[in-house]
Amino acid sequence: MNPILTLFLKDIAHFRRDRTSLLLTFVVPAVLIYIFGNVFGVNRESTGPVGIPLAVVNQAAGAKSADAIITALQKEKTFRLITTSRDANGTDVPLTEEKVRSLFRENRIRFALIFPPDTESDDTFGLKVKYLNNPRNDIETQTVNGILQKTIFMAAPSVLMDSLRKRATQAIGAAGTESFYRSIARSVGQSFNTDSEKIFDEMMRGDILTASSSSADKPDGGTAPADFFDRIIKIDSEQVSGKQVKNAAATRSVGGWAVMFMLFSVSGAATSLFEEKKAGLFRRILAAPVRRSHILWSKYLFCTVLGIVQLAALFVAGKLLFRIDITSNLANLILICLAASSTCTAFGMLLASIARSPAAASGIATFLILTMSALGGAWFPISLMPDFIQSLSKLTIVYWAMEGFLQVLWANCSFRDLLPYLGVLVGIAAVINAISVWRFNRGEMFD
Amino acid sequence: MLVIDNVTKSYGSVAALQGVSLELKAGEFFGLLGPNGAGKSTLMALIAGLRRPDSGDIRLDGQALTPDNLRSRNKLGFVPQTIALYEDLTAEENLRIFGRLYGLRGALLQERIDQALVTAHLQDRRRHYVKTFSGGMQRRLNIVAALLHRPKLLLCDEPTVGVDPQSRNAIFEFLQTLNSEGLAVIYSTHYMEEAAKLCSRIAIIDHGRLLAIGTLPQLMTRLPFRESLRIEGANLSRDSLAPLLSFGELTSDADAHVLTLHASTHLSDVFREAESAQLPTSSFQLTRPDLEDLFLHLTGKSLRDS
Repeated sequence: MNPILTLFLKDIAHFRRDRTSLLLTFVVPAVLIYIFGNVFGVNRESTGPVGIPLAVVNQAAGAKSADAIITALQKEKTFRLITTSRDANGTDVPLTEEKVRSLFRENRIRFALIFPPDTESDDTFGLKVKYLNNPRNDIETQTVNGILQKTIFMAAPSVLMDSLRKRATQAIGAAGTESFYRSIARSVGQSFNTDSEKIFDEMMRGDILTASSSSADKPDGGTAPADFFDRIIKIDSEQVSGKQVKNAAATRSVGGWAVMFMLFSVSGAATSLFEEKKAGLFRRILAAPVRRSHILWSKYLFCTVLGIVQLAALFVAGKLLFRIDITSNLANLILICLAASSTCTAFGMLLASIARSPAAASGIATFLILTMSALGGAWFPISLMPDFIQSLSKLTIVYWAMEGFLQVLWANCSFRDLLPYLGVLVGIAAVINAISVWRFNRGEMFD
Repeated sequence: MLVIDNVTKSYGSVAALQGVSLELKAGEFFGLLGPNGAGKSTLMALIAGLRRPDSGDIRLDGQALTPDNLRSRNKLGFVPQTIALYEDLTAEENLRIFGRLYGLRGALLQERIDQALVTAHLQDRRRHYVKTFSGGMQRRLNIVAALLHRPKLLLCDEPTVGVDPQSRNAIFEFLQTLNSEGLAVIYSTHYMEEAAKLCSRIAIIDHGRLLAIGTLPQLMTRLPFRESLRIEGANLSRDSLAPLLSFGELTSDADAHVLTLHASTHLSDVFREAESAQLPTSSFQLTRPDLEDLFLHLTGKSLRDS
C-alpha cells in the first residue's frame, strides 16, 4: 500500500479512538452553531430577539396615544411587557415609576417606558414619553432602542392626528371646524364625484386623517424624515444605571472575557493534577504525613489565587488602557473576583475529578467553557436568546460571574446588592466541590 | 520493627496480595523479589500507608500503618518506582518541599538538604533544574529526597528501573552505606542479581503470595539440586573420570559430563584430585543454583519470563 495512504489510515484510526478529538471536532461546533443560530434567529420564522422585559407605566389616564402605543408594544414579539407588580398582599397592581426604579436597582429589568400624566396635552402638539434604560449591554440596548422607536412611531401618528384635530377645534371653534371640514368634503366630493356627506362624517371622526398616515410614512418607511417624528414625539431618555462609567464598551465586556479566560487558565492548572499523578509524586507525597485533602485544598488554593492574580492583572490593564474604573467599588470588586475565581477553580477541580486523562480534561474543558461562555452571555446578550436558553444561562458560572462584575463595575452596587451574586457563585462552588471530592475519593487520581 | 500479619488486598476480582506475613528487624536489608505484577508494589503501598489492606495488619514499632495514621509516617521513607520529582524545580527546591512535608523547618531543614545533596553527589548541581539531570542523578536525588527526615525504614520500590549499570552500582553502594549506618531497607525488585547482591534476607513473591523467605543460603537449601561441574571434552571417557565419582553423581550426554556434587564436597578437593589424575581442569565449568533456579523451582516458570 502506498505509504501516504498507510499513514493516512493510521491517522484516521487514531482520530476514531480519540474521544477528545471527536468531541472537539463534532460536538463543540454543533453546540456553538446551535447557540449562534438561536441568537440570530435562523431557526425562527421571523428573526430578531423575543421577549425582552419592558416595563410600562401609564400615568396618562385616557391618553389614546399611550393606549395605542401600549397595544402596539404588546403585539411586538421583541418585548414582554410588564405593566403590573405584586403588592404585599399578593395582588397585582399597576406599576409605578417608583417600583420600576426599584426593579432597575434589582437588575430585573433594563428598559421601561413611562407615559407621564402630560403624555398628551391640549396645549401642545405631539406626545411625551419617558424612556428609562440601563445600557449595560450595548447590543441589547441598540436593538431595543431601534425596535421601540419603530413601534412608537408606527402607533403614534394616528392618535397624533386626533390631537391635531382637537387643537384645531380649540383654535377656531367647533362651528368653524365643522364649516372647514364641510367645505373640504364638498370640494373633494365634487372633484372626485363621491359622497361629500360620507367624507365629512369620516373627517369628523378623524378616520381620513388617520388613514393618511399609512405605515409607509413611518421613519423606517423612508418617506417621512425621522426628525419630523422626533419633533412630534418627545422621548425623554434617562440612563438609570452606569452613568458614571467612563468607558462603557470596555466596562461592559471585561467581565465576560475575564471569566472565560480565567476558566481556561484555572482548568489548566487544575488538570496539572494529572501530571503529578503520572510522575508518581502523589505516592511520594502521600507517603509523608499528608492527606489527600491536603493535596486537593492546596491545589484549590493555588488555582483560586492564580485566578485572582489573573483578574487583577486584567483589571489593572483595563484601567491603564481603557480607563475602566476599578477603584471606586474596590472592596466589592475584590469580593466578586474572589467568588468568581473560587467557583472557576471548583469547575477545574471537577474536570480533574471526572476526566481520566489530561487530554480528556482539556477536551471537556474546551467544550464546557465555550458553551458556558456562549450561554452565559459572554459573547451575546442572553436577552436575545430563546427563553429556554435564557433559563440554561442561569445554570452557568459565566452568567453569575459576569452579572456580578457588571453589578460592581457598571451599576456600582452596594455589598447588599452584590450579595445574591456572591451567594450563587459560592453555592455553585460548594456543590461542584462536593461532587469533586466524592469523585476524587472514588476515582483513580490518588491510586 | 515491622510486622506484616496475614495481609490481603484485592482490586475488584484480582487478588493482589493473599495472606502475606513477614517481620523485619531494625537495620535489615530486606529484598522483595518477584516478577512484574507479583504484588510487590501493592505491598509497598500498604506499608507506606498509601492504601488500606482488605484484611490483616501492618505495624511499625507497634503503630498501625494506614492512610489515616499520619504519625507513623515520619519513621518511613518511600522511594517510588518512578522519578517522583518536580522537573521544573531545582534539586534544592525539590528537597525543600519534601523536607517541609515531613515537618522540617529552618536551619535543620537546610542542614539536611545540604547533607542530602552531598550524599547524592549533587552539591554542585543544587540550583540546577532536575530536568537537566542525567537519569542516574535523578535517581540519586529521588532516593535522598526520602531520607531528609531520617526514617528508620526506607521503602525502595524498584529504584533502578531504567538505570544504566554504572548508575545502578552507584545506587547500590549508596544504599549499602545507608544500611550500614543502621537504616532498614525494603528493596523490591525483579532483578535477582540485585536481591542477591544487596539483601540480607529475601522474600520471593508471585501472584500475591510469599513463596519463600530467608537468607540466600537458606533459600538455596529449598532447591533439590546442588552445585555441579560441567566437564567438556569429546575425548574424555566416563572411565577417565572415575577418580571424581567419590565427590558426586556423574551423568553424561553427547557433549559433556556433569558431576553433581555432594553437599559435603569441597571444590578444592575435587580440583586437587582432578589435577592428580591429569584431567583438563581448565574445561571444568562450575554451575551454582541461583534465585532464578529457585524461582523456577517454586513457580514452574522463569523469573524473567514472568
